[in-house]
Amino acid sequence: MTTQPAAAPAAARIGVDVDAAPWRRVPLATVFGALFLGLLLPILLERFDIGEYLVTLLILFFMQAVVAQSWNLIMGYGGIYSFAQVALFAVGGWTTGVLAHSLGLNPYLAIIFAPVLATVAALLIGLPTLRLRGTYVVLMTLAFHELARVFAITGPRFISGGGYGLTIVPTFSTGGAVGTQRTIYLYYLAMLIFAVATFVIWRVIRSPLGLAATALRDSETYAVSRGINQFRVRLLLFAISAFFTGLAGGYLTHYEGGISTSVFDLSRLIDLLAMIVIGGWGTFMGPILGAGIVIGLDQALVGIGDYRALAEGLIVAVIAVFAPQGLWPTLRGVYDRYLGPEPQAAAEAVADTEPGAE
Amino acid sequence: MHNTQLVQAVWGGVLFGSVYGLMALGLTLVWGAVRLLNLAHGAIFIVGAYAAYWVVASLHLPILVALPVGVLTAAAFATMMHVLFIRPVIGKRGFDNATLVATVGLSISVSAAALLIFNPQYKVVPPVLKGSNNVAGVEITYQGLLVIATSLALFALVYLFLTYTRQGMAIRAVSQQQEAASLMSIPVVRTYGVVIAISGALAGLAGVLLSPFYFLNPSSGFNPMIQALIVTIFGGLGSIRGALVAGYVLGIFESFVEVYFGVAWALPGVFLLIILMLIVRPNGLFGIGEVRRL
Repeated sequence: MTTQPAAAPAAARIGVDVDAAPWRRVPLATVFGALFLGLLLPILLERFDIGEYLVTLLILFFMQAVVAQSWNLIMGYGGIYSFAQVALFAVGGWTTGVLAHSLGLNPYLAIIFAPVLATVAALLIGLPTLRLRGTYVVLMTLAFHELARVFAITGPRFISGGGYGLTIVPTFSTGGAVGTQRTIYLYYLAMLIFAVATFVIWRVIRSPLGLAATALRDSETYAVSRGINQFRVRLLLFAISAFFTGLAGGYLTHYEGGISTSVFDLSRLIDLLAMIVIGGWGTFMGPILGAGIVIGLDQALVGIGDYRALAEGLIVAVIAVFAPQGLWPTLRGVYDRYLGPEPQAAAEAVADTEPGAE
Repeated sequence: MHNTQLVQAVWGGVLFGSVYGLMALGLTLVWGAVRLLNLAHGAIFIVGAYAAYWVVASLHLPILVALPVGVLTAAAFATMMHVLFIRPVIGKRGFDNATLVATVGLSISVSAAALLIFNPQYKVVPPVLKGSNNVAGVEITYQGLLVIATSLALFALVYLFLTYTRQGMAIRAVSQQQEAASLMSIPVVRTYGVVIAISGALAGLAGVLLSPFYFLNPSSGFNPMIQALIVTIFGGLGSIRGALVAGYVLGIFESFVEVYFGVAWALPGVFLLIILMLIVRPNGLFGIGEVRRL
């Protein structure tokens, strides 16, 4: 949103008509309803036997959704094919882990450095590559993933922990709360991160920055000819995405009390990719929905074990080729058709001429 | 002692260089010809290698039989990938998107399948040529010499194929202007298939020949693919000459770093080199613009 001063005069002159734009305002009732439900849920779940287990699942969901949303921000909206997502997550995790473990910093203090260092890492990858064609980004980010993996395994002992990663990282202190109370406390912390990340990403997508990114994705030549600085837009988007990815990495490291080198496994990458692709590539709710589906299926199908990665890979490939829009737009279509308010005539007329808004 | 290190570095460099070249050739061919960034290249590599392993270990046939089986299996797998996941989106708007995600998904499925069919343990594929020669304290394996020779021969072969045969000319035409090529009654979609099959065969050959060095496990295709990707960027995407030269430059660089600074620094060193390269020459060594490829 730092670009707003630069882009604001243009936006003011054109005068964006909110109703005509390719999005609709989110009703406040929905937002507060979701918030209220989120706050109430653990208190309700606490009363059930498996409640605590469900709360831990929700924590996992919040974090995975943050990572998936951040990835979707650059892949789906920005058209930046970055595969460094897992590596940036690991950068965040390792940063806070090493600070808390080796330097004895308080986890609440150490976690602040996780998103910062992840952002710095993203800028280092982004500066040389984001000026270039998309393919270079794929190659360099994959190479960065491999580099981070090898370094995490073979690097100095305070990083590699002898090849297994960090195993004894201090967890968040919860002021004496134990058991279920502690889980609920951590749940609220995760929810806070999720809510902030979701809000910021939502704002970014709807800001001039987000519109510029979408325009670049849909027609690079046209967008550039309209005066969009491609490099700056992409770099900013990449940095924002890395910030929240690193934050999620930091949280999970302290939550689980460690981070293993197995985060670099390809199955982690396909999990995240599946969330975006199944939920809906380049839609706001897609990755959140996808994260819910993938985590839910994962728990439901725990029996299929090793077949999971096989199935997931194939599902992702099939959806990418045959149904690239994913699940969310389909659901949205059903909602609009049968349950939603009547669309306004003016808004529809504009929507017809809007290219590539899918 | 000093001499040994030098010989080790040079031998390792030339060997790595050939290995990278062999992997990069298929990748750069597909990118140059049909604009497909095939992230399943590493998966095709292990398909070939596991096929050869299976022929040797279960059917007890010699490696010379297993080699062509591995190559053909890899080519068949690549063709299947083309038919199922590439062909449906040729010419559509989301081609890059769909193929990128599909090849990533596919490569992870292949690893998972390899894990289920075989087990996570390292498999040993026997070398085609056994034995070695000792030069200044360094083992020069005959298999290594074979890899170097094969790599160079394949580069020459692919170059001649693209330059002089009808099919090769068709591929170059498609790479330059698809619409014009199809107006000259070149079957564009079939050309995609041919290129992908050739690239698959090259990956399979690399898989069989390299597995004696790398050993074989379900994720062993990933690392060579990353190296090949780095080589293709360094040499200029889509440039065959670039892949050849960059393979050796990077191989020798990596080998020297490894011998003189330690294994842990090899990959960071290569990474740094490539970033410098992208800053100085964003299109790679033999960077060719958007218009002409191959």
